[in-house]
Amino acid sequence: MTLTTLRTLLAGAAGLALAAGLSAAPLKAETVLTVLTAGDQNMVDYVNEYLAPKFEAQNPGVKVRAAGTGPGDGGSQKIYEKLSAEAAAGAAKWDVDVAVIHQKMAGQMVQEKMLAAYVGEVKTGTLASRDSARNALGTDVTGYVLPMFHSQIALAYNPELVKAPPKTYAELAEWVKANPKAFGYNGIKGGMSGVGFVTGWTAANIGDAAKLEKGPYDAAMKPAIEKALSGLKDFNRSVTLTPGNAGTLDMLNRGEIAMGPVWVDMFYSWQADGRLNPAMKLQLIGPGMPGQPMYYAVPAKAANQDAARKFIELATSPEVQADGIVKRFNWYPGIDATYVQPKLDAQTWAKLFTDVKPDELASKGKPFPLSGYFTDIMEAYERTVAN
Amino acid sequence: MSAPLPTEAAGRPAALPRPRGGDGAPALPATRIVPDWLWGVLLVLPALAMVALFFLYPLGLSAVSAFQGRDGGWTLANVAKAFELYSLDMAFTLAIVLLSSALVAVLSVAIGGYLTLGGNRLAVTLLRWLYRWPLFIPFIVAAQMMRSFLAKNGLMNNLLIGGGVIEPLQAASLLDWRGVVVTFVWKQTPFVALMVAGAMASLDRSTIEAARDLGAGRLRILAEIVVPQVRPTLTVGLILSFVTMLSVMSVPMMINPNSPTMITVDMAYRINAHGDYGVANALGFVSYAMAGLVGWVYLRHGVRQGGAR
Repeated sequence: MTLTTLRTLLAGAAGLALAAGLSAAPLKAETVLTVLTAGDQNMVDYVNEYLAPKFEAQNPGVKVRAAGTGPGDGGSQKIYEKLSAEAAAGAAKWDVDVAVIHQKMAGQMVQEKMLAAYVGEVKTGTLASRDSARNALGTDVTGYVLPMFHSQIALAYNPELVKAPPKTYAELAEWVKANPKAFGYNGIKGGMSGVGFVTGWTAANIGDAAKLEKGPYDAAMKPAIEKALSGLKDFNRSVTLTPGNAGTLDMLNRGEIAMGPVWVDMFYSWQADGRLNPAMKLQLIGPGMPGQPMYYAVPAKAANQDAARKFIELATSPEVQADGIVKRFNWYPGIDATYVQPKLDAQTWAKLFTDVKPDELASKGKPFPLSGYFTDIMEAYERTVAN
Repeated sequence: MSAPLPTEAAGRPAALPRPRGGDGAPALPATRIVPDWLWGVLLVLPALAMVALFFLYPLGLSAVSAFQGRDGGWTLANVAKAFELYSLDMAFTLAIVLLSSALVAVLSVAIGGYLTLGGNRLAVTLLRWLYRWPLFIPFIVAAQMMRSFLAKNGLMNNLLIGGGVIEPLQAASLLDWRGVVVTFVWKQTPFVALMVAGAMASLDRSTIEAARDLGAGRLRILAEIVVPQVRPTLTVGLILSFVTMLSVMSVPMMINPNSPTMITVDMAYRINAHGDYGVANALGFVSYAMAGLVGWVYLRHGVRQGGAR
């Protein structure tokens, strides 16, 4: 009896302490910087484990609170919905200070005037000169975003089973016919690596591939897109469909498939964590496979604009890009490589380009199609390939 | 969840003069101000408000927006697009859920039957202890387990190969529609079996004994004596399972997200990848139609049962 009473008391005390701690925690710091990030769990880990402690150490009194909103464009969509709800409610200050978003959503949010033009006000604003820092799938985003990193989709393969990996989409189609079910990808509903494989297939099989990238958008391209995808239905009969980005890597690792499209950073991270056979290799096939940056953006009415700019300045500094983005998380840097390479030893730099050489990346690393074409490709896939 | 509300509300009328008091003149005006029937309404009001606010309103909103374009005008385009792109998935969903329900029916009758008619005490005890376990495992956890259990080189095939049952080359992945059915059946059988076994246990055993005396085998007793008597319970359990399975997204998402897949996955995809609530709601509408159909059977059943009592 007494023991039960004691236990109840203790539990009550613990509960109270917890509640008090929770309510007191934000009060201790003067400013709470809220960072919302779309993307896989590794993005949240990066902010929480690497960037936030660094930033808090440099800025006493500021606490970083980071949350993930989920992988793929859906994650960015959630950030957009939250901010647009706050805008519609007429809130004077929005409670997201830094948003990490995908290209498609960055364009939409710039068009809807939901982002602040902060790049001119941060010291690192001039360090990113690649095309994707100015153009997000056809929308001019100059001044509104800085790339956090670039990532690339490539084919991962098991060199024990595949001696001579295909070098182009056409060779891959031949290879798949000769080796049924040995190639696996995750369709378009299980993550972006499958989506990227499909947009790459479209670009490889359409007459005017440059138009998909450069625009302008023309709805009359729809029949050509459907035609480009017509071969994929037949192709899909000889492949294994995998459950998700991670599902492709899992099946590759268990030897159930011999090849499949993956994100390069995920591939290297899994190898570093011992979750993927270190013998696996990558191949970037022609005419090209897509990659994309993730962007740092500041919502137009973010409550802590100054702290947000400081945070992004730190995150896009050559030191952090070298040590955090390249060395620890295996992404390609967001700012120009010329600023990052001197901060790293030759070995770490070379590891990033073990299988995919820099010149290959330059010639075969493509952007995703314009968002209008992107939607058309996805719907054409559902209409002609999946249905 | 809504249970505490009526009880709280019930405290209030007790504090006021009792409406049917009638022995003191001062009590009468109170009776007239708040008539009897109003107390009843007040009592159910909190629960009713919960249902209206958190169920009926969203349901109505989603049904309405299935027929609205992005500009807010009325249109059938969402429904047309839903059928154009996902008609195969609708058929697939219905087929998967019906097949799973059928398998659940067979297995739960088998389990309930053995618990009621089984001769081996030890086996009955063991089964009684074991069969409920999946009830306590969430769908998403079950799906995650199946993802590595049913894979081509997963635990199940490794066990079969290790046991010499199949050759390594015969190993095939069950991570397609079969995986979804296996997970659904594994997860829902205990639920229905629990209801069915309960109903079987409360049957009048004299009918079973009589059949046994006349020489009927156990299988025949199950099929001709027991199952007909528990059919109402079995139907209700299956209908509840049907609706539950129809609404699960985690299992098809994790096991078989590719075409054809279940419409819950398509709904999530329309919203996540395209921000397209219109088509997602149109798909939701199809889902209500499927659930509504079995709901109608359930209600008819409930009314008939209620009338019989």
